[in-house]
Amino acid sequence: MRRTARLLTGTALAVAAAGLGAAPVYGGDTGSLEVFPSTVVPGADVTVNTAACGSDGTANGDAGAVGGGTFTLAASAHEQDAIGQFRVPPSAQPGTYEIVATCSHGRRVTGDLLVTLASTREQIQPRGHVNTGVGGALGPDPVQTAAGVAALAVAAAGGTWLLHRRARGDGI
Amino acid sequence: MRRVSNAAIASVTVVALCSGAWLLRSGAEAHPPPQPSAAQAATGGDRARSVAPAMPHSPPSRIRIPAIGVNAPLMGLGLTPQGSLNVPPAEKKNLAGWYEAGTSPGERGTAVVAGHVDNAEGPAVFYDLGSVRKGSTVEVDRLDGRTAVFTVDAVEVYDSRSFPDAKVYGAARRPELRVITCGGGYSETTGYRGNVVVFAHLTGSR
Repeated sequence: MRRTARLLTGTALAVAAAGLGAAPVYGGDTGSLEVFPSTVVPGADVTVNTAACGSDGTANGDAGAVGGGTFTLAASAHEQDAIGQFRVPPSAQPGTYEIVATCSHGRRVTGDLLVTLASTREQIQPRGHVNTGVGGALGPDPVQTAAGVAALAVAAAGGTWLLHRRARGDGI
Repeated sequence: MRRVSNAAIASVTVVALCSGAWLLRSGAEAHPPPQPSAAQAATGGDRARSVAPAMPHSPPSRIRIPAIGVNAPLMGLGLTPQGSLNVPPAEKKNLAGWYEAGTSPGERGTAVVAGHVDNAEGPAVFYDLGSVRKGSTVEVDRLDGRTAVFTVDAVEVYDSRSFPDAKVYGAARRPELRVITCGGGYSETTGYRGNVVVFAHLTGSR
């Protein structure tokens, strides 16, 4: 039983290893530069990676379009990618910029970077007016109305009293 | 028993009659919330004022506008199916809200706070918002324990039919705040005709 489990684990690892080994084949076919994050605000750091340069390839990056200058993509163990970083200058204007990487063996790959003024959280903005009132402050003031009714009741009582006296002949 | 004179009764009756009539009449009159004057409109000159460094993202908890006596908790607001900003429950008259999918107050960008001018019972949290003036202070307490201090740049009123979305909600390169409530006149059939919007930017934090 235990032996079977070990055997299965071994097989799974072998399959996984084969899968990893196969990865550069697919990676090598995609000739693009991945840009992360692909949407940034001015001043942000951006990481780019590509599998186009091969397992031990390095590359020269060019973020001059957005004002990020040149940078180096170094080979990394991560999926055999070449990885590099640059900073979008705080003065960058909104727009889409092409980031370029040229492998040491000459291959050229590009990726797009979108610069926005707002953070991505703010991409969906409210629109239109806000329903923040029903006119309740415009209607009759209940306190004032009650006071008015009470005052009129006093007046009515006073008037009745006077009429009552007159009817009794008290003189008015 | 000492008699109350007829004259005394008559004068009390007359005074009560007059004051009762006045109270009923004035009580039924409309008391519209204050509206900003043209002098409070944006002039563009506020750009020269100092701007404090942006703060990191943190949800706010409370808003204070000392000039009009506002001190109210803030709840998170989303959007309605039509895309407009949702509002706090109308029955809570001292409650305002902020657009929680957007910029937090103090962070770089445009943070949006909204609250009711009134509800069915009468005036609510932002009843006096239209009387805020340029240079007034708006303070927002945040959950990170810090307070963002904004200075008012302009107070404007917009008709619902031509609401300037980009100006009110659009992105900003510095930390800004909008405080919104209803205003712009009232119609028996369609309600308030627009919104009062306070524009402010961050001038300090503590």
